[in-house]
Amino acid sequence: MSQPDRERTAPIHANAVSRRRFLAGATGLLAAATAPVVLIRRASAAGKIVVRTIGGAYEEATVKSVFEPFTKATGIEVVKAPATLGKLLAMFESGNIELDVVDAGELGMISLSQKGALEKIQYKGWKHSNPDDMDPFIRRDDMVGDIYFSSVLGYNTQAFPSGKHPRSWAEFWDLKRFPGPRMLADLASGNVDLEFALLADGVAKDKLYPLDIERGFKSLDRVRSAIRKFWDTGALSAQMLADKEVVLGSIWNGRLQAVADKGAPLAIEWNEASLQSQYWGVLKGAKHAEDAQRFVDFACQPELQANLAKLIPYGPTNRQAFKSIPADVAARLPSSPEYRAKAFLQNGKWWADNRAKVSERWSQWLLQKG
Amino acid sequence: MTADAATPLAVGAEPAGAAERRDARRHLVLLLPALLTLGAFFVYPLLGILVRSVDKNGYTLESYRQVFRTGVYLTVIGLTFRTATIVTLICLLVGYPLAYVLATVRPRLARWLTIIVVLPFLTSIIVRTYAWMVLLGRNGVVNQYLVAAGLTPAPLPLLYNQAGVVIGMTYVLLPFMVLTLASVMQGIDPAFLRAAHSLGASRLQAFRRVFLPLSIPGVAGGALLVFILSLGFYITPALMGGPSDVMIAMLIEREVEFTLNWSFASALGSILLVLTLAAFVVYYRLMRLERLFEGAG
Repeated sequence: MSQPDRERTAPIHANAVSRRRFLAGATGLLAAATAPVVLIRRASAAGKIVVRTIGGAYEEATVKSVFEPFTKATGIEVVKAPATLGKLLAMFESGNIELDVVDAGELGMISLSQKGALEKIQYKGWKHSNPDDMDPFIRRDDMVGDIYFSSVLGYNTQAFPSGKHPRSWAEFWDLKRFPGPRMLADLASGNVDLEFALLADGVAKDKLYPLDIERGFKSLDRVRSAIRKFWDTGALSAQMLADKEVVLGSIWNGRLQAVADKGAPLAIEWNEASLQSQYWGVLKGAKHAEDAQRFVDFACQPELQANLAKLIPYGPTNRQAFKSIPADVAARLPSSPEYRAKAFLQNGKWWADNRAKVSERWSQWLLQKG
Repeated sequence: MTADAATPLAVGAEPAGAAERRDARRHLVLLLPALLTLGAFFVYPLLGILVRSVDKNGYTLESYRQVFRTGVYLTVIGLTFRTATIVTLICLLVGYPLAYVLATVRPRLARWLTIIVVLPFLTSIIVRTYAWMVLLGRNGVVNQYLVAAGLTPAPLPLLYNQAGVVIGMTYVLLPFMVLTLASVMQGIDPAFLRAAHSLGASRLQAFRRVFLPLSIPGVAGGALLVFILSLGFYITPALMGGPSDVMIAMLIEREVEFTLNWSFASALGSILLVLTLAAFVVYYRLMRLERLFEGAG
């Protein structure tokens, strides 16, 4: 982190050497067989960047609204590569960095940042977007926000017609007034819904952090009997609501919207939503670092962010973007002024600093006789 | 290559010891690719994991201390072994009759049945698991039939509990059991059974006293395979289990991907490895498994 300039000029060279040494370490035959392949790959490597993608409807939307316009404008090909956080870190540790740009949630990005795996964002060199337009909360040294999404209270409108549904986490916790099976997030999704548990227990929205872990788990005790399943992936949460396995649950707003748009009787209560941010970052040691910086600059343009929001209901981080977003689209975005006022901002730093503690407590809590 | 051609002649001409040595050398050459692959892609990374479990910016046993500081991790390992045992027993109960049919029907039919048994391997495990979730859910196909047929007043809890985990894992692992059993059963000479009948044994007696003992190596091998594969299961329990159906692989994955404490993850993995080996030794003694590895089937 302290010497980005030196790092930036070194990577391509350093990498080639380490790869060659690795091959030399393997059998000579293997090295001879692979060397031409390596050379060809490096030769054709000019004019492309490799971006970490996370699949689903969000990936489709980013391809249409960001990747394709970028290639059209610059001629630089965008290669999609799926990778988990663990894989990214393993790549960084081994020095064989196959990706250039990461798109990841706040907690994941802070983890990469803490390990020193992220390059500084070159705001000064931006040509396409204006750094001053970026929301100050998501404009950080080594990452810049690309979207806002929310974890919201989702409900089945057949079980609870809109207006007679739970309007807060305290009401979600009220098993008598609002009976029916529920779901909340598993730690594997990124976080346990401790914030919601604390809100249900009467903690004020602006007094949540630092989270009182014990109080949160005590509060979870009260709702546990009604929890059918703690979901670990967005796909699972959407399927459980769509199949009526549960009638209430915490869920990412985009996941619920996608199922609701296909006709499932589901709706969102935006009150006390957990507003979360996702980021672009450039990996330290990226083979195409310069083009990667250019990509991040390009992707932050308000018009592109507005186009993304039209395809999938995730909110822009460039404050100029709302100007190009029609009212009916804005009404679905978690960072629209109206919903933003009802929500609280999740503190990724707290989760990064406390994950070991929460992880152990979560396992203990799950194994208690419920 | 030249040694190959010379061997048949050499056996008679040379002392037995030299021929044996040459055989051993030839076997080594044949085994070399497998040994190199195992060494590079299994033993070396495994050593890496063992080293990492005691390396946290300097060598320390802190990760192991962390495992034993609370009862959580040992409880989860215990649960994992219990689930693996249940799944193994059910696979055996379901798989044995199926394998018996496979081994005793006409070869043409046996081929078709084998293809049916292997068919699930052609689809991704995640797709198959989601398919089970659609079938077993509260409003799933199975429960709709059960309720409509009046067999149960309310939907049965088949998913998001241990029943769901066991059903899902049994389904995935059953082919391993069936194929192992069938390969041993196919090697049992039907003449033995005919001999038993001709000596006055009833069908049940012939099965119990001739076929069953001869099929035991298959039972031992199939059970071992299913049990060890069960211990590392991750996707099925994560998707089909309830809140308290935690298996050790899920915790290891969380340490790798979420907590990013790779030393701790390695320690958990190493402990699982040691316990698995210990279970294997006990099992080896109990089942007199050396018969299996001598190719008794």
